[in-house]
Amino acid sequence: MSQVALVTRGSDDGEFSRAKGNGRELTPLRRWFADAPAASLLLLPVLVLFAFAVVYPLVQTIILSFWDIRGLAKPKFYGLGNFITLAQDANFRQAVVTTILWTACTTALSVGAGWAIALLCSLSPRRTLIPRVMIFAAFGVSEAVTGYVWLQMYRGDGAGLVNAVLSLLGLGGLAHAWLGDSNTAVWCLIIAYSWAQTGLPLLVIFAATQAVPRNILEAAYVDGAMPMSMMRHIVAPLSMPGVRVAVFINLLGSLRAFDTIYVLTGGGPARATETIGFFMFRESFTQFKLGYGAAATLVLLAAVLIVSIPAIIQRTRNTR
Amino acid sequence: MTIGNLLTAGWRRAGSTGRQAMLIGASVAAVLAMTSHGFAAGVSGDLVLLDWASGNEEDMIKALEQAFVKANPGVNFKEINLTVQGDARGAIRAALQSGEKADLFINTWPAFRKELVDAGQLKDLTALWDSAKVGDNLSDSWKSLGSTDGKVYGITYTYGDRSAMFYKTATMTKAGITTQPTTWADFVANFKKLQAVNITPIAIGAKYWAHTEWFESIYEHLNGVDMTAKLAAHQIPWTDDSVKNALKKYAELIKAGCCGTADSMLAMDWDGASDDVFVAGTHGYEMIGMWNNDRARTVDKLAEGTDYSIQQFPAMGAGHDDVSSVDSKEFSEFANAANAPAADAFLGWLSTADAANVIASHGLASPSNKVDTSLYSAVIKASVDAVGKDKVQFVLGDLLPGDLVDEYRVQLQKFLQDPSDANIDAVSAAIEAKAKTFD
Repeated sequence: MSQVALVTRGSDDGEFSRAKGNGRELTPLRRWFADAPAASLLLLPVLVLFAFAVVYPLVQTIILSFWDIRGLAKPKFYGLGNFITLAQDANFRQAVVTTILWTACTTALSVGAGWAIALLCSLSPRRTLIPRVMIFAAFGVSEAVTGYVWLQMYRGDGAGLVNAVLSLLGLGGLAHAWLGDSNTAVWCLIIAYSWAQTGLPLLVIFAATQAVPRNILEAAYVDGAMPMSMMRHIVAPLSMPGVRVAVFINLLGSLRAFDTIYVLTGGGPARATETIGFFMFRESFTQFKLGYGAAATLVLLAAVLIVSIPAIIQRTRNTR
Repeated sequence: MTIGNLLTAGWRRAGSTGRQAMLIGASVAAVLAMTSHGFAAGVSGDLVLLDWASGNEEDMIKALEQAFVKANPGVNFKEINLTVQGDARGAIRAALQSGEKADLFINTWPAFRKELVDAGQLKDLTALWDSAKVGDNLSDSWKSLGSTDGKVYGITYTYGDRSAMFYKTATMTKAGITTQPTTWADFVANFKKLQAVNITPIAIGAKYWAHTEWFESIYEHLNGVDMTAKLAAHQIPWTDDSVKNALKKYAELIKAGCCGTADSMLAMDWDGASDDVFVAGTHGYEMIGMWNNDRARTVDKLAEGTDYSIQQFPAMGAGHDDVSSVDSKEFSEFANAANAPAADAFLGWLSTADAANVIASHGLASPSNKVDTSLYSAVIKASVDAVGKDKVQFVLGDLLPGDLVDEYRVQLQKFLQDPSDANIDAVSAAIEAKAKTFD
């Protein structure tokens, strides 16, 4: 049965369907009903997993967001109260602004750097294998470890690498405790996170550059185009599908980022580096205001959907 | 034949020698019943502890368990260990909400105890306090510190002097400071000596909470324990002049160059502050809690009382210099404890000489008057002596409910960034606004 269903779904000429229908062609509705049992059976494991891993937590989060839960006190139904409080909460508004800045900057930096390096590497793919592997390796390191590495680099005393380099360059006057300054802490985090995230865009975009048809490049070469000109006018535009994928993945990752912020600043100083994700953690797990944290989670989820739905539509527009 | 008749007949049949033996036996049993071990006799089974202690404190808890089991061989300790960094309340709440069942747990936050009491999760230990004669070993002040709404819910087993300023002897020698300052004026005057040899006078690790210690000690010394208790209970507003004056005094320290830049304070965590005082020697003092004594001894390998020591917070001359800020740790029993007899026995035993000496031998202070004080190390003895002669005030931050403590810490970070009078008004107003949400 399942073999029949599979072949039926996979065959456009309807030959197998006609055979199954005793020579009569099945209507789309009848064909759907004929396929449904086998399709359901095949989908069942995934659906069960999806229900447990995604649907159940999501429904629970939505339910929680309507309750006022403070520590171990008895929960009280709060309706939309948590969402109203969120809208009035200056700390949450600041977290939204920080999240927008953080997401935009980390995505721009990591994808921008990854794109630039990928284009350079595409000039000589074999000779740049080791640098590419090294840059990608940073992406494989856990965010917590990355955080500790950068924590040492940003140290406020002379032992911090950033301050030491500034002193060597005669810019010792600029040296300070980078992570303790509300004006510089968020930028320091953006740099640290972007550094760690550059590997993935590099990998994706480099793959896109390798898919550029060779005959186009050869035609350009024959026409006398210089390498940089070919890079600018041919490789860069044709690598855009890879860039779009990298932007999408980095946007989602940045929106949900937590570890780097937790390790480097703990959301401080004075909440200057608190993103929505960190706000959600603080309210849910430090203050144990689970309902309020759930409401913040749903706002973050909405932001993720706003980013991902257009991207998914765009990616699947030409598929059946 | 009734039970009474049987007993009488047995008594007569025993004869003179037998009756004497029975009397001696009964007397011994009665004496044993009145001793610390007596009320624990007969308890058995698994005793589950929700434990988040780490390092030396974890070792001490294990030693306490072993000592109790030695006296009560039928008891078997089981632990639910929570691995946490910083504030453990979130992890404890998560464990309880996820259905973990324990008989006992360690607590250090009075505000959290209130939360658990309000949720009906803790057992009232007032009757146990009397029946186990805990009051013979712990003073009423410890009973009061372990109480919520007039009922005992926690038996304190250790405490720390939070008004103790740690310093490294070599650092002070380098600055030419031979005698530790006992007054505020002398303390501030010494800053110049330290700064002259490129030492920042105080290490304030303000990344999380350590910056509030200084405000709290200043506040208590200016206003006394009663006002501090009222502030914690929000019976006086955070916009009160007492708060603003304490912040202005704190600002004096900052303006005198006590602690480096605001950036350096806000980037520093408690371990960093400890390292700056004990390892790098770049900072003079720190006031961060007695856990630091253990760290200096075991991690930094410094000789207690020789390489480093403590000095109590200086007198400010406002009529309230007989106050010490403390934190404490207590054992509490869950209302739904599966093994309540063993849990009760453990709590009753906790203040005895046996338990107190285990605590003291692990470099921690015991509140029990039965402790052998000769077991105390130099720094612990100094802190115990200092606290013993003062009025005691629990550290203010741990008394604040819910996320008020978070707002309090963040606003004091903003104060460090700008210690001006205008910002003091803004900071105190912001804390007050949050405090009102809990009224």
